[in-house]
Amino acid sequence: MAPAVHQAVTGAGPYDAVSEQMRAWRRLLARAGYGGADFAGQVDHGARAHFAPLERLEPAPGDLTVIRYSAWSPALGRLLERPGPKLLVYHNITPPGFLWRHSPGLAVQCAVGRLQLPAFVRAARVITADSEYNAGELRAAGAGEPRVVPVLFDGERLSARGRGPDGDGPLVLVVGRLVPNKRHDRVFNAFAAYQRECAPDARLLCVGTALTPGYLALLRTLANASGASNIDFTGGLPQDQVNAAYARADVLLTLSEHEGFCVPLLEAFHFGVPVVAAPAGAVPGVADDAALYTDGDHAVTAELLDLAVRDSALRSELARRGRERLERFAYERTAAAVLDAVRAALTRTPG
Amino acid sequence: MTSPEDALARAQQAAAEKRAGGGYTQPEHRGDALDATILGDRTPDELLGEWAVIDIEPGVTYSTRRAGAPITGLKRLLLRLMRQHLVELEARQTRFNLGVLARVQELEQRVERLEGGSAAPRER
Repeated sequence: MAPAVHQAVTGAGPYDAVSEQMRAWRRLLARAGYGGADFAGQVDHGARAHFAPLERLEPAPGDLTVIRYSAWSPALGRLLERPGPKLLVYHNITPPGFLWRHSPGLAVQCAVGRLQLPAFVRAARVITADSEYNAGELRAAGAGEPRVVPVLFDGERLSARGRGPDGDGPLVLVVGRLVPNKRHDRVFNAFAAYQRECAPDARLLCVGTALTPGYLALLRTLANASGASNIDFTGGLPQDQVNAAYARADVLLTLSEHEGFCVPLLEAFHFGVPVVAAPAGAVPGVADDAALYTDGDHAVTAELLDLAVRDSALRSELARRGRERLERFAYERTAAAVLDAVRAALTRTPG
Repeated sequence: MTSPEDALARAQQAAAEKRAGGGYTQPEHRGDALDATILGDRTPDELLGEWAVIDIEPGVTYSTRRAGAPITGLKRLLLRLMRQHLVELEARQTRFNLGVLARVQELEQRVERLEGGSAAPRER
């Protein structure tokens, strides 16, 4: 009988990328004959069917624990003292400077998480990062040569279609949690410029769960102050509704200042939606030449949005490059890398 | 057709032309509002002083459930009922924080004196 492979994370929710990756790995591991369960320190109400409380994780000798590291918690730290092999998956930890003023509790988890990264590196038999950018941070934490195992991207989950956004006019889509490092303030200013100078009937759809109700209120204030209209905050959406939004979108905009991977890039490529992005963090490594990169000037971002919406030949070329880029993240290819990392962690001699 | 490689230069040119014609005047002067809230590695001293005083408004407590308004109300009611204990807790934590902060400032001044003011002024 194959040993169990458990997964552990600080916090899990219904829509975030790390939780989705845990569910994708669980489906793959089950098909490969591995048992085990998924555990989280904090579980949002919409995700309780998939995650058990982290304090209940009791790995048997020989079981593998996959530690998903995107924030620290005391319970996650205690896992390092447990016996049994460990596989570290580093999803990146947001620099706490983005969070101190908006969510002190999460900022503490991130600050300690960055300080503790070397301890997690030392405790793991196999160390992986989901992007080359994140692998760089692991090297700086003493990981030697970590494996780069990209996000397990399952295009199947993008096939269901729910209700999409209403209205006419170019639809600019922003997908991702409403957190400071995603720089929605820049999105609003660039969109306002685009609406004023290029497309007065343009719409902006921001899909994603807010950090806190207070932060959502702040973003609504900033959106109003930008002078733009037709800005809609949907909150977190079920996958079928996110898919419907992509299907109707004219362009995906991401102006994040810090990104460890940026799954929406791959989703946009899947739907053939052109991408306008800030070249920050892992974004250039993931999108490569399949996105249009801004220099940070809102007027230039607005003009890039206009090109991406109106130039049909450019759209076709970006869609072609996006499809090509997706091949690098093909499910079978990544699944093989995941299973290889799991086998290595189960068989490699400690030390 | 504009190639992806040429898109940035073309967008920069279009933006420059529109600016010359009086366009794109507003957002770049307004700036990005979150810049002021994002901190670097070193937290400014005045902010540390502000944070040392623990005073948590009840509005930060909420429910993450979809229809969580009654739960939010219940949580805030419990906070009100526990107010006497929580105020004492905040006061004792603040007392410690301010004590540590004063001690750190004292040590910083001592280091500066010992260095004879010859070192370059530190970034605050």
